[in-house]
Amino acid sequence: MNMGVTIAGLTVTYGDLPAVKDVSLRLEDGTITGLVGESGSGKSTLALSLLGHGNIASGSVFIDGVGDMSKMDKGALRAVRGAKIGYVFQAAQNSLNPLLTVGKQLLDLAKSHGVRDVRGAHPLLRRMGLDPDRVLNSYQHELSGGMRQRVGIMFALVLNAHVLVLDEPTTALDMITQANILQIVREVHADRGLTTLIVTHDVGVVAEVASRVAVMYGGRIVECGSTKEVLANPRHPYTRGLINAIPRLTGPVDVAKPLPGTPPTLGTIPAVGCVFRARCPIRMDVCSAQEPEMIDDVACHAVGVTAK
Amino acid sequence: MWRIAGHLTRGLAMIWAVTTFTFVLIRLMPGDPVQVQYERLIAQGMTPDQAESATAITYGFVPHGPMWKQYLEYMWGLAHLDLGVSVESQGVPVADRVFGALPWTVLLVLSGILISFLIGVVLGVVAAMRRSTMVGHGLSIAGSLLHGVPPFVIGIVLAALFTRRWRWFPSGGHFNGDEVSPGFYYDFIGDVAYHAVLPAASFAVASYGGWLLAMRSSVASVLGDDFLLAAELRGLRPFMRFRYLARNAILPLFTVLAISFGLVFGGSIFIERIFNYPGLGMLLYQSIGARDFSMMSGAFLLITAAVIVANILADVLYTVIDPRVRRQA
Amino acid sequence: METGPNSLPPPLLRRCKVSAVLRALRRRPSRIAGVVIILLFVFMAVAGPWFYPDRLPYDADNIYAPISWEHPLSTDFEGVDVLALVVTGTRGVMLVAVAAGLVTMVVGTAIGLYAGYRRGRPDSVLMRIADFVLTIPGFPLLIVLTVTIGLGAWWKMALVLGLTGWGGLARAVRSQTLSLRERGFIEAARGLGLPTRHIVTRELLPNVAPYIATNLLVAVTAYIYAQVGLYFLGVLPLDTSNWGVMLNAAVFQSGALISPDALPYLLAPLGAILLLTLGVVLIVDALEEIFNPRLRGS
Repeated sequence: MNMGVTIAGLTVTYGDLPAVKDVSLRLEDGTITGLVGESGSGKSTLALSLLGHGNIASGSVFIDGVGDMSKMDKGALRAVRGAKIGYVFQAAQNSLNPLLTVGKQLLDLAKSHGVRDVRGAHPLLRRMGLDPDRVLNSYQHELSGGMRQRVGIMFALVLNAHVLVLDEPTTALDMITQANILQIVREVHADRGLTTLIVTHDVGVVAEVASRVAVMYGGRIVECGSTKEVLANPRHPYTRGLINAIPRLTGPVDVAKPLPGTPPTLGTIPAVGCVFRARCPIRMDVCSAQEPEMIDDVACHAVGVTAK
Repeated sequence: MWRIAGHLTRGLAMIWAVTTFTFVLIRLMPGDPVQVQYERLIAQGMTPDQAESATAITYGFVPHGPMWKQYLEYMWGLAHLDLGVSVESQGVPVADRVFGALPWTVLLVLSGILISFLIGVVLGVVAAMRRSTMVGHGLSIAGSLLHGVPPFVIGIVLAALFTRRWRWFPSGGHFNGDEVSPGFYYDFIGDVAYHAVLPAASFAVASYGGWLLAMRSSVASVLGDDFLLAAELRGLRPFMRFRYLARNAILPLFTVLAISFGLVFGGSIFIERIFNYPGLGMLLYQSIGARDFSMMSGAFLLITAAVIVANILADVLYTVIDPRVRRQA
Repeated sequence: METGPNSLPPPLLRRCKVSAVLRALRRRPSRIAGVVIILLFVFMAVAGPWFYPDRLPYDADNIYAPISWEHPLSTDFEGVDVLALVVTGTRGVMLVAVAAGLVTMVVGTAIGLYAGYRRGRPDSVLMRIADFVLTIPGFPLLIVLTVTIGLGAWWKMALVLGLTGWGGLARAVRSQTLSLRERGFIEAARGLGLPTRHIVTRELLPNVAPYIATNLLVAVTAYIYAQVGLYFLGVLPLDTSNWGVMLNAAVFQSGALISPDALPYLLAPLGAILLLTLGVVLIVDALEEIFNPRLRGS
């Protein structure tokens, strides 16, 4: 099944303020794309807009074979959510109703989408190393963080969705559980031929599972490309900063350089010019006057100059 | 199970504390009625022995002897539901009167709480959903106002409007003894309901505001929970999401329920007085007026016991509904 | 969202207070009305009796007089001006209620702070007691006490009201103290080597104060109504003039429910109670917004 996602000129606002501005991105069918950025960069807002959630001011989110999520009415959106596109919350967030067992909530999901048979949950849970009967009879508070995350993935995929969005799937989990969850994401992605978007602040997660990566800052995508290329040869100064901030296993610890300054919040994003210029080591005059255009998968005046 | 056992022991301990308290009130306070009656009987010409046995029948303890012995005898009597004999209407056991009055108060209190709970919960959801609109503000202010006004104000207003201004409902009593006699048949039940409408409505109007406010803040906090967004992103039908919201929001209200029982039983004195309704509150009021101390302590004990029992039931209900508590138990 | 004034350290909290009060008042003008109403009642309680003679003049020829400038709220069954009765009836109940409120405040705050600060055994014992006080139906207890120990003296009434009403405040103060503890205030202060007295009075009290203020306001009103209720039932001697006595006379004696002429005599004390409640509701609404910005409807 061919279900890539095309985001074109997307702007999502909170009140009057754009949390995501003029973003264009293509999630190729069958790939895992990593979306990295600091908190407040708008990456979760972008992820939610894939399900048509949030106040989409302009632009479109087109899922192949489904349609434009930004133009659907409530009923159509509801039918698509959960059935064609699945969303997995951060482990620390409680995405389950605390008063119902997992099994009961699974039945509610099935009923909502007019599906009678949800026995697909059993092999799916077993595939992720869980005992289906036990899990389906459990309440949220009886599951560990790692188990909740697997149950979240089960909910996202049990109705055979082909687009999977994971928001910080490994945050707040211990290292071993993180590795497990990433392993599972890789496996089910391959098994089912999904189109996956994985949102994270952790470049390591992207390096491990994603074949493509998009870097977000201040509501804009500043650089994207194949993971290997971007990580090995980052062109945008922000991407370089992110990668330099990672401590290495070998060599002196102080090689890792934290990014100076703090990321902008929704209210402090500059309205004109490059959003990154306040923290940029290679700032130029043009940066405060004009917003850089996305040229050759990178949006930076400095890169543009050297390319020309 | 352990939780329920714990509640039972705590309830029993509280009932014990209250009985001890009433004992102290009646026996040790200045103007001790037992002593007063004993002396009055002697003054009327009884021998000390006669006076002593007469007093003992009335109050359940003898006017002389060591306090601890009197206390033990009093408690022993209570354990057998012997609350003494009424001073005012000589010879009538207090237990008969208070247990006869109890069902009528329970009828009013339960129907009042049930109605107010339903109205308050529904309006609370509306107030939370429309928090920033005029409707939401209006509902909240009206709710707090009615919640803050003492129940007798509501009772007086309802009585003035519906028994005097418009004579829609009877102005007093629990049923019309001239027309129906007690029994399990349509006319009697209808007449009881007809007489109970206004007093129960007074309870409901006086307390629905509390439910509204509690439900409003509860809904507002559940609306911010992630599992509702998750349910939306899974494409759950709107009514299912509403059910998730409602069940989670109502749950904390069961802890409020416990407190409200005390308030409502307390308010029953006013409501029953205003509507001349022969329940426990009315009995307590009458015994105060007549200085009928044995009846007074009996009625007070039973009201307190009813509140404690209601508390325990509310908590058991909570335990049954909330799996987080249930599975630990 | 999580960073309201409550999570700021105490000095910062204090600095924003004045402006927060003004802002909350300006956000909804009805709150100013609330302040005005409460000030009116305080004024009535303090200065009201000065405007009238000790014994209000009665006029047997002028019973249930029509509403006029002379008798804006008509007259009662003896021809006494109803407005005068409402005004002069404020001081007595208000005095007792404020005194009882102070008792509640001291006891509730002390017990709540101590329980929340010490935790462990003292906490669970004290909270059991608080639950006990909360569970005993207050009003029945009150009328039982009126005949056993007698509540005629104002200080007795204040003491009994105050001592039966501290349960809720103690619980609120305790849970607030516990949550301050969780946020690390106390550990931080202790780490700095501050003495316990300083931690309690300088760090804890200012942060708990909002809850005390809100509770105190609600408690004082409840105590006013409890007294009015006792007089209304007629279990206290009806020799003073106050709203409860008026209601008692109107409902149970003079038949104001039947005769439309006597209606103002019934409506005046009811109106006073409604107005007072409205004032309190509006102010509590403002207080809650000042102290808990998350409630703000955006």
